[in-house]
Amino acid sequence: MKSTRSGVTPYTIGLPILLFSVLAVAVPNFLDVQNLTNISAQITALLIVTLGQMVVALVAGIDLSVGAVVSLAACIVATQPNPLVGILLALALGLSVGLVNGLGVALAGIHPLVMTLSSMTFLQGVAYLVLPIPGGKVAPILGEMANGSLWGLPHPLLWCALCAVLVALLLHRSRLGLHIFAVGANPHSANLNGVRAWGVVVAAYVVCSLLAVVAGIYLAARVSSGDPTMGASFSLESLTAVALGGVQLTGGIGSIFGVVTGALSLGLITNGINLFGLSPFLRGTVTGALLLTAVCLQRRKAVGL
Amino acid sequence: MTTTSLHLPSVATRRVRQWALQVLRLPPAYAATLVLLLLAAWLRPQLLSMPLLLLILRQAAPLGLAVMGQSLVMRARSIDLSVGGVVVAVSYILTSGFLSMPTGMAIFACVLLGVVVGTVNGLLIVRARASSMIVTLAMAMILTGIVIALSQQRAPGQAPELLRELALLRLAGIPLPVLGWLAALVPVALWLRYSVYGRYLDAVGTNPKAAALSGIPYLRVIFLAHVSSALISVGCGFILVGFVGVGSTTLGQELALNSLAAAILGGVNFGNGKGGMAGPAVAAFMLTFLFNFLTSLGLGEPGRLMLQGAIIAVAALAYSLGKRQNS
Repeated sequence: MKSTRSGVTPYTIGLPILLFSVLAVAVPNFLDVQNLTNISAQITALLIVTLGQMVVALVAGIDLSVGAVVSLAACIVATQPNPLVGILLALALGLSVGLVNGLGVALAGIHPLVMTLSSMTFLQGVAYLVLPIPGGKVAPILGEMANGSLWGLPHPLLWCALCAVLVALLLHRSRLGLHIFAVGANPHSANLNGVRAWGVVVAAYVVCSLLAVVAGIYLAARVSSGDPTMGASFSLESLTAVALGGVQLTGGIGSIFGVVTGALSLGLITNGINLFGLSPFLRGTVTGALLLTAVCLQRRKAVGL
Repeated sequence: MTTTSLHLPSVATRRVRQWALQVLRLPPAYAATLVLLLLAAWLRPQLLSMPLLLLILRQAAPLGLAVMGQSLVMRARSIDLSVGGVVVAVSYILTSGFLSMPTGMAIFACVLLGVVVGTVNGLLIVRARASSMIVTLAMAMILTGIVIALSQQRAPGQAPELLRELALLRLAGIPLPVLGWLAALVPVALWLRYSVYGRYLDAVGTNPKAAALSGIPYLRVIFLAHVSSALISVGCGFILVGFVGVGSTTLGQELALNSLAAAILGGVNFGNGKGGMAGPAVAAFMLTFLFNFLTSLGLGEPGRLMLQGAIIAVAALAYSLGKRQNS
């Protein structure tokens, strides 16, 4: 198989198209505007988190703390009476979490799994401290930003597009983006060529945490409340979406287009299970089986991680 | 790293320095255990009484087993996140009466499940070259999903009498699960140190390409590590079901990530061929003791989680900084 930097293969593109066609044919009201709006609202948070996870995966890292960051950001926004202060606090949180994760991985040499696992545990504790039980209140203006629509386009789509464009600019139109691909492909050569590898890795973790914060703000605004376990499932789901999108966890291979197809596939699976009236508990099984099929079709050279 | 001094260090200082380096090279689990025990002696001395320590050891047995499997696959540069899924499936087979059969048959079915899961994991990782993190994660999702969907029809129930009694049994005052843990630990450690397979595993982990070029059947080595890990997970399931007495769909969910942390704190890392079996076992005890200690401090959920995260991070930080100083 030809190896490309994007990691996009016919299978990564084919999966969402296949799911979409099956659902469109089999379920009568799948193509309703209402249902399509629902899907886009459902996958927005996942897509934003997955974009961040991809940036970290590009430098051969992994971030398990995104779920806890999503929860904590949502709790912060839901407990601050002033939305601006809440958003700024949440972004500051993202910045510091990213810095700690990145410095721990890049400078101290802690394995990313352990580093982000411990920050996940810590932040989950903080989230329980900020908001012990689900609740809180989100300013109406934020709710409008998450649920309204502009020129007929639902706002969630705009959030997705904005984040995707920002990450695309970062990866393909900035020096940092080039360095991220370089470090991911081969950190040693990148270092020899004058790229400060540790700085790039730290930047990747910061971007990932900031995107997780954005997803948390979006989620809190969408349901206009916070929940300390709101984002718990995002850590593993974003990994799943990243893998479905052809991003390689060994670094250097991945694309925004792939991430969009991965997140879309996951969203369509959830929606399809709802529409088919299948037990929602089978969702994990279906997703897992698809994930296995998807990764088996993308044969790699390396064995193991 | 040594500073040049005008007079040569005496034999005694050199010996002390060497000894200090040896101690520094020990995995963080040892130092962390020591610190925790001292802290407990100061703040909560009752935790250090023999009966309670034995109970904590018993509680550590499932994690101790899981970390054995995890360190096996980690030494071969792989990872196994399917522990939780296997444990849930084992608990369902044993407790739901879904397949109405005698206990012996059910136990056999669980072992069979372990072999199948391990084989599928191993084949997908070795033959299809899929990422082991994704494969085992998907396996956990599939198993847990099936069990949760099935338990809508038939909820998990009482654990078999035999397992419950075995979990409570004590030999010479030592709980049977702890003895089972030790009985698995010692042979596996010896096997890894002295058998050809152990040498192969280290070689594959250190440099897969070199191992393959030297004619080591490196794919088979990785495959076998995954099958063993899945079988060990089944063992965890037996012990956990015995403890809890009833089946549950959330049993052992934290094992996958905790075993990962314990393996790394115990000095095993992804394929540098280093790390024995003692370090991870100590780390499993350390983590379980830490959970109990934090609970006994009455901190409540937030404080407990925050301290737990911070302690794991500090231990990992101290270890990797110490390692860098030595190299």
